[in-house]
Amino acid sequence: MTGLGAALPYAGPRERPATGARAWLALLVAVAVGAVAFSWPLFLRPESGMSATQAPVMFAVVLPLVLAVVLSELAGGRMDAKTLAMLGVLAAVGTILRPLSAGTAGFELIFFLMILAGRVFGAGFGFALGAITLFTSALITSGVGPWLPYQMLSAGFVGLFAGWLPRALGRAEIALLAAYGMVSAFAYGWLMDFSFWPFAIGDGTQLSFDPAASALENLHRFVLFNVATSMGWNLGRALTNAVMVVLLGVPLLRLLRRAARRASFVPANPARPLAE
Amino acid sequence: MITFDRVRVTYPGATRPTLSDVSFDLPEGDLCLVVGSTGSGKSTLLGAVNGLVPHFTGGTLAGRVLVDARDTAHHRPRDLADVVGYVGQDPLRGFVTDTVEDEIAYGMEQLGIDPVAMRKRVEETLDLMGIADLRRRPLVDLSGGQQQRVAIAAVLAAQPRVLVLDEPTSALDPTAAQDVLSAIATLVHEVGLTVLLAEHRLERVMQAADSMLWLPGDGSVVHGSPRAVLAGATITPPLAALARAAGWDEVPLSVREARRRALAEDLRPTPPPRVPVAAGPSALTASDVEVRFGEIVAVSGVSLELAERSVTALLGRNGAGKSSLLWALQGALSCGGDIAIGGRDPRRLGAAQARRLVALVPQTATDLLYLPTVAAECDQADAESDAEPGTTAGLLRTLGVDVPGDRDPRDLSEGQRLALVLAIQLAARPPVLLLDEPTRGLDYNAKAELRHIVDRLAGTGVAVLISTHDVEFAAAVSRRTLLMADGEIIADGDTLGLLTSSPAYAPQMAKVFAPIPVLTPDDVARGLR
Amino acid sequence: MERTETLTTPHPWAWWCWAIGIGIAVSGTTNPLLLALIATAVVATVLLRRSDAPWARSVKAYLVLSVFVIGMRVFFQMLLGAGTGETVLFTLPQIPLPDWAAGIQLGGAVTAEGLVNTLYDALRLAVMLVCVGAANALANPRQALRSVPAALYEASVAVVIALSVAPQLIESAQRVRKARRLRGDQARGLRALGAIVMPVLADAIERSMSLAAGMESRGFARTRGLPVRGTLPLMLAGSLVATCGVFLLLSTDHRLLSVLLLLGGVAAVLLGLRRAEATLRVTRHRPHPWGSRDTLIALSGVFAALIVFSAGGDWGIGWLMASDVLHPSTDPLVWPELTPLMLVVVALVLAPLPLTRVRPPQATTSLRNDTRVRSLRPRPEREPELVAR
Repeated sequence: MTGLGAALPYAGPRERPATGARAWLALLVAVAVGAVAFSWPLFLRPESGMSATQAPVMFAVVLPLVLAVVLSELAGGRMDAKTLAMLGVLAAVGTILRPLSAGTAGFELIFFLMILAGRVFGAGFGFALGAITLFTSALITSGVGPWLPYQMLSAGFVGLFAGWLPRALGRAEIALLAAYGMVSAFAYGWLMDFSFWPFAIGDGTQLSFDPAASALENLHRFVLFNVATSMGWNLGRALTNAVMVVLLGVPLLRLLRRAARRASFVPANPARPLAE
Repeated sequence: MITFDRVRVTYPGATRPTLSDVSFDLPEGDLCLVVGSTGSGKSTLLGAVNGLVPHFTGGTLAGRVLVDARDTAHHRPRDLADVVGYVGQDPLRGFVTDTVEDEIAYGMEQLGIDPVAMRKRVEETLDLMGIADLRRRPLVDLSGGQQQRVAIAAVLAAQPRVLVLDEPTSALDPTAAQDVLSAIATLVHEVGLTVLLAEHRLERVMQAADSMLWLPGDGSVVHGSPRAVLAGATITPPLAALARAAGWDEVPLSVREARRRALAEDLRPTPPPRVPVAAGPSALTASDVEVRFGEIVAVSGVSLELAERSVTALLGRNGAGKSSLLWALQGALSCGGDIAIGGRDPRRLGAAQARRLVALVPQTATDLLYLPTVAAECDQADAESDAEPGTTAGLLRTLGVDVPGDRDPRDLSEGQRLALVLAIQLAARPPVLLLDEPTRGLDYNAKAELRHIVDRLAGTGVAVLISTHDVEFAAAVSRRTLLMADGEIIADGDTLGLLTSSPAYAPQMAKVFAPIPVLTPDDVARGLR
Repeated sequence: MERTETLTTPHPWAWWCWAIGIGIAVSGTTNPLLLALIATAVVATVLLRRSDAPWARSVKAYLVLSVFVIGMRVFFQMLLGAGTGETVLFTLPQIPLPDWAAGIQLGGAVTAEGLVNTLYDALRLAVMLVCVGAANALANPRQALRSVPAALYEASVAVVIALSVAPQLIESAQRVRKARRLRGDQARGLRALGAIVMPVLADAIERSMSLAAGMESRGFARTRGLPVRGTLPLMLAGSLVATCGVFLLLSTDHRLLSVLLLLGGVAAVLLGLRRAEATLRVTRHRPHPWGSRDTLIALSGVFAALIVFSAGGDWGIGWLMASDVLHPSTDPLVWPELTPLMLVVVALVLAPLPLTRVRPPQATTSLRNDTRVRSLRPRPEREPELVAR
């Protein structure tokens, strides 16, 4: 049930394998590009003449394109009305959970839904749900900016990897998801903090990003900076994820699986569209 | 236009087919009513017309369905979008966009219609449904009736030749329902569409129908003229019940027709005796109840008493303050004035204590359900009410609902769900029960069932107050009626006297036999004996 | 002659192009005088040209955020500053940290040079934030969604669904919360959250099924053809090449090569999206046409960016505006200068003002007074007046 194909239930038996391969390819490229984009402080060199303020902005040009490619591949023409409606409605739930929870130290409620949905509907759906939830939320709160592609990508990864988790059942599954919730909360926080670290503190302080220093030294500085400023947030987010998964995981998984079952049957007498 | 040829539909896991060996032919331009009790396969039949069954819902369809000479086996619902327009039960749930104009254009956008032609068609459709003044309004801000008219306009804009409506009024209050049904009737007469309409408020539309499909519930279908089908069907709108009581072989389709025939045959039922409003010991006393929402006064200075063992109907138009009054009496809404039930004020008690004094079943009863199975809900209700384990499940059985405990409450029928919520609320053994618009979405049988339940409850000593728009139901169930307008109670008296004297709230039997004061077909049957 | 609503509102992407252009221009300078002038011009444009829609108020939040960013930067500079420069303003008590902290010291001398340097850089970031806020305030997000490329049509449908379902779900949550009392449930905190989240989610999923039935029977995806062969590899290769371009741009000094790679990659992706577009034949109701005025607004942003960047670079018009004018020295401290070309940049920021017209305030006709729900809800658009009444 956790395969990628589950996200594309109505693709029809003939198209499904090919679609899966295409989507996998797109997701792998997204992971690769994301890895480069989030780790830019590791390779920014002074001789390039780019300042630390400009670097994330450069990626903010490329990332929307990558997101567009992946989302058009995941959704375009291959997600049927049911999957798309489910995606939209769950993104709406995430969108209203976000302002409910913002502000109180890391108490963020959107991630557990992405994790559970990614688990049930597959990695592709998880990625799309993460990205679209953050996008919708940004539209509603007027929070569109250079940080949005980064947020969309990292939230997409939270849902994506939830879909790639190993098989587990019953309590083991809940434990697995809760653990993943904690890990992904920290990963999300670190990715976002790392790529916007020079923005947060500026240059010229001892905890600042220094293009001239080695990657390892910069990493050391980042860890110190992050522990000093964001530990509470990340920890709060991780605990929220774990607690929500433990509390609501069982009924929510059942609810989503029931919906997945209802949405993902293969029609008994499959229709062929007339040749146009 | 629509041909069903030996159609059999079986859902996966079902023991018997939902539709079996269904064959009929529907000529172009007909308005065909689809009737049958809940669960008889109406939705399946309607869904099969545009291919939602089986392409969307799953299951197997044997036989052939032809619409405008297109076979649904080879055309997905989306390929039939320019031939069949499909409107579901709750309009708000089917909307894809959020403003009226966008929603109307949506279907045409999918068909790839040229923007210039689209603009013109949007205008035409807005005028056709009389909603031009709503064009820029957000859909959520509209009333239920307006929403359903927008939903119909949205499918009409694609200019289909068949319109399929699956209980378009079940989520609406009667005023809005009438609004929508008259719009549909106009469409049939002026646009010449073929319309397939599933509806349980037959009294509003049967005079406009050309034919009727009755699903008795065993998978078969009876097709014929409304008069003939109604005479044999177990679906009994008041006029059909009247025909039976009077021994007429054909069912009159409108009040006018029935009145003419009654006059011609000089049918004069003896009116039921007028019973004064029982003045038993009072179960609930409220005085000067006032509810305000900011500037708006929803309930202003209402005083009332409910006697034990009594059933009282609360009538009034939308926004008259009926719901606010019920919520206030339960103590769940802050309000001014005094409320006393057995000498105690529900507002001063905690929620758990208050529901032992007075229970409320709200309009959307499902809001009270949150557990995955019926059994879990029943156990939770026992715990909430400190009742013996099994109390709620037992109550549910006495309410006539016997479903396996592992069923998901969301899979129950509308009537069964209402009974479940009722059982949950009654587990606390409250002396006062408040029902807010309980007949919404119920068919005739379920309404009759609810009437018996309420009768039996009153028999055990409970005082019941029912807020409703459904005059026929109020006439059948209550002895006393309150009329509310603008936050005040403007009339309070025995149901017979009050309803027969009011042109707006008179039930159909009262209209047929005026000035003889009768309310229900039962009254007539007794009066003719 | 009266013009219709669509004609009086610039295209949302034009506003975004304008704002991004200015943002890029801002990222190329730390001259506080220029930054202050640009910020004033941007805010003035927003105040004069915004509508009364909920998103139009967002610029205030961005201004607050900007001030916060400056404050935080200054705080960190004082606490952790490396103490460059000689003009010591005051000295904070020093707290040395243990070895694992990479020899970092808290406190110490606070110099004017370090502080001014931080202030300039923070100001740059703050003005970039204001530009983003301006775009958020001026561009109608729903209109922008309606003009996404067809390859993203399905994704935009999901966003549209989310935007229209969210307010309904809030109402459903409020109803469920009210109903909890009727069952005597007084649970607080996380348990109560579960009792509310579950019915709302179950309701949401039911909703998605009827929504999907509606979409399906109204012809959704009817005109979507099979993907064009070769489009996806082209787009994926394009994204990888563009990423390589940025990587090289940031890590080496092969500027030309990396810019070429970046542009080539972007072009490949755009071409791929364009080709994917051909397989969908969905049309738009009342499409928002891109007019010459929109081009002018977009170009004003592009030119602002070009001027600043070509002045800062080694080629182009560097002789008109030297790099040290764009980046005034902070060590030693010098007074920043203002050159005529900078005023041209400010004029470009203000260019949309003569190109657009003031939008008269409109009364909202929402029937409900719940502010949170209303802020999520689409606003009734103004009724367009007929042409030549």
